[in-house]
This record gives sequence, structure tokens and C-alpha cells, in this order.
Amino acid sequence: MTINGKTESEVPGKDGVFIRQLPTGVPGLDEILGGGLPEYSFNILAGAPGCGKTTLAHQIMFANATPERPALYFTVLGEPAIKMLRYQQQYSFFDSAQLDGAIRFINLSQVVLDQDLGAVLDSIVKEVEASQPGVVVVDSFRTVVRKAQSSNANEVELQGFVQRLALHLTSWQATTFLIGEYVEGELRDNPVFTVADGLLWLYQSIERNSIVRKLQVMKIRGQESVPGLHTFRITEHGLHTFPRTFGLTDNNSEHVKGRSRLSTGVRELDTLMGGGIPEGDSLLVAGPSGGGKTVLGIQYIAEGLSRGEPCIVAMFEERPNEYMQRAASFGFDLDKNLKDGSLKLIYLRPLDLSVDETVHEIVSAVKEIGCERLVIDSLVGFEMALAPDFRTDFRESLYRMIGALTRLGVTILSTVEVEENFTSMGLSNFTISFLADDIVRLRYASINGQLQKVMMVVKMRRSKHSIDMCAYEVTSKGLQIGEPMRGYRALTSGIPGPWSLESTQTPLEVPSSSKPPKPKTPRKRKASS
Amino acid sequence: MESPSPSTRDLARRLLAASLIVSDHDVQGAVLVSDRLRVSLIRFAGVDGFISLQQRALVLARVEVPSLQLVKMGVDGSLQGFEEVPADSLADAGVAITANLLELMVTFIGEPLMRMLIREAWPKTSVDQLQ
Repeated sequence: MTINGKTESEVPGKDGVFIRQLPTGVPGLDEILGGGLPEYSFNILAGAPGCGKTTLAHQIMFANATPERPALYFTVLGEPAIKMLRYQQQYSFFDSAQLDGAIRFINLSQVVLDQDLGAVLDSIVKEVEASQPGVVVVDSFRTVVRKAQSSNANEVELQGFVQRLALHLTSWQATTFLIGEYVEGELRDNPVFTVADGLLWLYQSIERNSIVRKLQVMKIRGQESVPGLHTFRITEHGLHTFPRTFGLTDNNSEHVKGRSRLSTGVRELDTLMGGGIPEGDSLLVAGPSGGGKTVLGIQYIAEGLSRGEPCIVAMFEERPNEYMQRAASFGFDLDKNLKDGSLKLIYLRPLDLSVDETVHEIVSAVKEIGCERLVIDSLVGFEMALAPDFRTDFRESLYRMIGALTRLGVTILSTVEVEENFTSMGLSNFTISFLADDIVRLRYASINGQLQKVMMVVKMRRSKHSIDMCAYEVTSKGLQIGEPMRGYRALTSGIPGPWSLESTQTPLEVPSSSKPPKPKTPRKRKASS
Repeated sequence: MESPSPSTRDLARRLLAASLIVSDHDVQGAVLVSDRLRVSLIRFAGVDGFISLQQRALVLARVEVPSLQLVKMGVDGSLQGFEEVPADSLADAGVAITANLLELMVTFIGEPLMRMLIREAWPKTSVDQLQ
């Protein structure tokens, strides 16, 4: 018997009562709850119609019901049982074999319509005593309460009813779920919520063309849940939650950042960075469209694969076949790696993603192949793939995502498109550069009537790097970095002038030459600390 | 709406036969089957749930056996008026209404749950035997 992954003897307060935790059958939800559902607890599943309460209850029921400890599902005036079951049977968790003794549906509508709360309690008690269930669901409990209120039952009577119900079901060792269509304003002073041990609130909102579903554990007695709103999706398999902790609550990572350096696949860039990317770092490659960000990502991946390091590319703009084609055009045949599983391409662009869902997808893939290098191409495409609701906290979500992935020891290269202007040099449009351990900036400079590509290492956390700005080209073999550009001033503005020019003179068309800028005689590279 | 499958009709015949074995032959088998299913269906789907299915089954069965026009439903979903049905169509009428009710159950709640409800209604008879 375990709790939060610990054995009974390891649980704090082991001399006290040991509360077993039941699985919810919902991916991710046990982690959110702090290990599972406390056995014999009295819980409420609340939320607006259509947000997945009934499906959640069914998942919990099918995950726990056995012929010895069956589940009783009481339906009360809500969705008619024959309709409800017709739809619930479409989910993969609905195991018809369990209907043969492990799960029973009982309709209480007539009792609720014709009689009082006492009769409802008697009916439930009678069934519970006859079946000795492990799980009891009342759907919808809200209708029971409404009926009682319309029959002038006062709050004290209602509280007494809820208390007796909770007491009886707990005494009979049943874990109970009351389903109700509540709004948050009802939380205060509601006797039902007062008595409940657990309160799970489900939300859904429509943002333009996407549906955003979130879940919150508002109350759970006896254990520590993961606070905040967690996104979930309803698929053919039922609810699937995406904890904000990304399944890493028990991850005792031993990864230490920067123990070694990873080559970017571009030797000269490795030199500029002081020896490559420190292992476990997050590198942001920021630059304009056409600057070679994706190509650099391909070279980074190809380099890793050549060293036997499993790699993942999470792409939000190009499709996988386009990406593979692009890689091939630079001489990188990644088909073999794709086939043998050392390379995984994750293409995500449904336009209603949550960051958490995306990260879960990536984290699962990282764990599956033991990924060491990850490319996210690009953060702009990633943001576009999110439902509008999630774009508002994109920075915060990215922070959690990068943290989670680097904790796994993955070295990340993210690309971000920067809208180029010729007055300043931004690092990204999201103000997310603080998330990156290292930043490489690509930009255009107008020199001699040509757009010259310029690369510079802006930041290397914890290590020295070159402060040179180098000309580079995107060739058929990938990025080719030239010598540091000397003799210019204001290179970062994109409109450089000659270093020696008077400030009153125009900075354009210097130095006079029809050839592409020829770097001046290299001087010894300077290094910043 | 498709008419009941051969296997559902066969199950209906067996339920009718099983009911008649243990009952007064004056009471129509279809009424007995309906009454037994009514108890377990009401328990599961409520009175309204049972009545709606039974009403639909009766309408569908009338297409097959027009003399079922003489059979009405009580407010509790019970079948009334079988004694008016001509003797030569009684057997077909019983099979038609029972089979249509079973088929509707399969459509809405699925075969496993239908079998479970039958087991509840005929606890001393094996469903496998019935089928």
C-alpha cells in the first residue's frame, strides 16, 4: 500500500490513520490531487453543464469498481440514464464487462420528485447497505438540493441531510462523488461544500474558435494537491489532465547544468560561445525571417544525432515532411534516425493547445527516447498554436516549460523570430530572454547596398563568450560564419557606418567597395565574462 | 429505425416462453415480460425512462402487427388490452413488442447492460440459457 509513492511506514504521522488513495483513472489527475483520491472521502465534482463532470465520475467509477466493492451510480433528474449511457459508452474506459456486477445504475428521480430529503436518504442508504459499494456517485446532486429548496426545506434541514448522507456513506466505507452544476459564487456558505472533503471544479470557456477546459482542486482534506488551474482535454479516452507540474513532482533530477558542452554543429559558433552550449542550458536563437534559425536548429540536431544523442524537434510552423526535406537540402539525411527512433518530430498546430498540454507531449517524448537535444521551432509558431486564453500567460508558461525540460537534462535550442527594425536590437517580441541561459542573435545589417547577415552571442550564463559580431551566410551546407566584422560602428543598429567617420557624415555606403563586406584583418577575439 | 435483429427476436421468444412457464396462462406473456423488465428498467432509468422506451416499442411493433392498435399503455407503462387482440396474432404481437423493447435497450444502453437488466428481471434463469 502506498501513498504519494511512499510506503505506509514512510508516510509522516505513521502512527495515525493511514489514508489509502484511489486512482482516478484520469491521466495526470492523481498527480494534481497529490497522489489520488482519499479513500472514503466525500467529494463534489462541480462546474457548468458540459464541462465533463459526468465523464469524470464515470472514469473514476470504472477505475475503481470491482464485483466485491461495486460502484453505485444514482441518477437524479439530470441527464436521463439511457441517454447518458449511450454517450458514455463511446469512451474507451467504458468497460461493458464491469456492468456485470461491478457497476450499477439506479434512478432516484421519482423519489426526489414525489418525496422529501428523508426518503432520498433512505433510498440511498438502502441501496448502499445492500451492495456495500466502494464508490457512490449521485448525479446530479444539485437537483436534489433544488428540489429540497423548492419544497421549503430550510438550510439547517439541508445541512442535516448532507451531513447524514456523508456520515452514512463514509461509515459504509464508500468514496462518494456528488455531481452538481454550481457557479463559483455559490461556494460561500453552501452546506454541501462545507461538509465535502474534496472539491474539484471544472471550467470551460470558449475563446474565439477554441474551447479551453481547466480544472482546479479547490479543497482536498488530508493531502497536498497541486494548486492552481490545470488544463484538460476530453478525448475518446475521456478526460486527460495536464498538471502544471508536468508530471515531474517526484523528479529528483541529478542533472547538473554545464558539466559538458554540446556542439551546435557549427564549429565557429561553438568557438564564439566559448566551447558550445553548456549541457542542460536553454539557448535562444533570435533573428529575423530568413536569418537561418531553422537551419541552425537542423545543424544542432544533426550534430547530436551523429554523436548518438537522441533528439526531438517540436515544430509549430513547418510540417515534419517539409522539415525533413529542408534538412536533406542542407545535406542532412535524418530518415534513418527517424526510423530507428533516435529522432522524434513533434508537430503541433491545432490552434487550441495549452502550453501544459504541449509540454506534456514533449516531456513524454523526452522520457520515451531519453532525449538529450530539443529544438523548439519556433516560439512564435508555438504561441500561435495556443488557444487565445493561453497566450495571455505565455511568458509564465514558457518559464515553467523551460524549467521542466532543462530539469530533465535536455539541452534546448529555441528559435524566435524578431521583427527587425533599424533603430534598436530587440531579442524577442515576448520579453522572454530572461528564460534563456544563452542567447544568440542573428540580424541583418545594411552594408554597401546589401543585406549582410550578422551573428553575435549576446549572453552565456555562467561562462565567457566572444563579443565579436561576425558576418555569416546560409549556404547549401548550413551556416558558414566568417570573420568578426571590424571597422564599423553601430552594427547592432543594422545601419552601420565606418568606425572612423565623423558623426555628421552619412553612415551609408562605407567602406567603399562593390564586394560583400570583407572583414578587416582579424584581431584577437575579445571575451566578456 | 431498423427492425429487431433475428437474435433479439429469438431472445424475445425465449423470455416469453420462460415467463409463460412460471405463470398463469391467462396472462399474456408480453405483459409478463414487460412487467418484469419494467421493474428493473425503472430502477435503472426511472419511470419516465421506461415509459418512453415502452411507448416507442409499442409504436414500432404496431407496424409489424397492426392488431396491437388495440393495446394501450397505462400511466405506469403497463400494457393493457391484450385480451382484445385476436388469438391468431397474439404470439406475433408478444414477440414484436418484446423484441422492439429489447432492441431499443440495445440501441440506447448497449447489449451488456441489457443482459444485466434481464438477469435482474429473471434472476433464477440463466441468460445464456435464455439465449
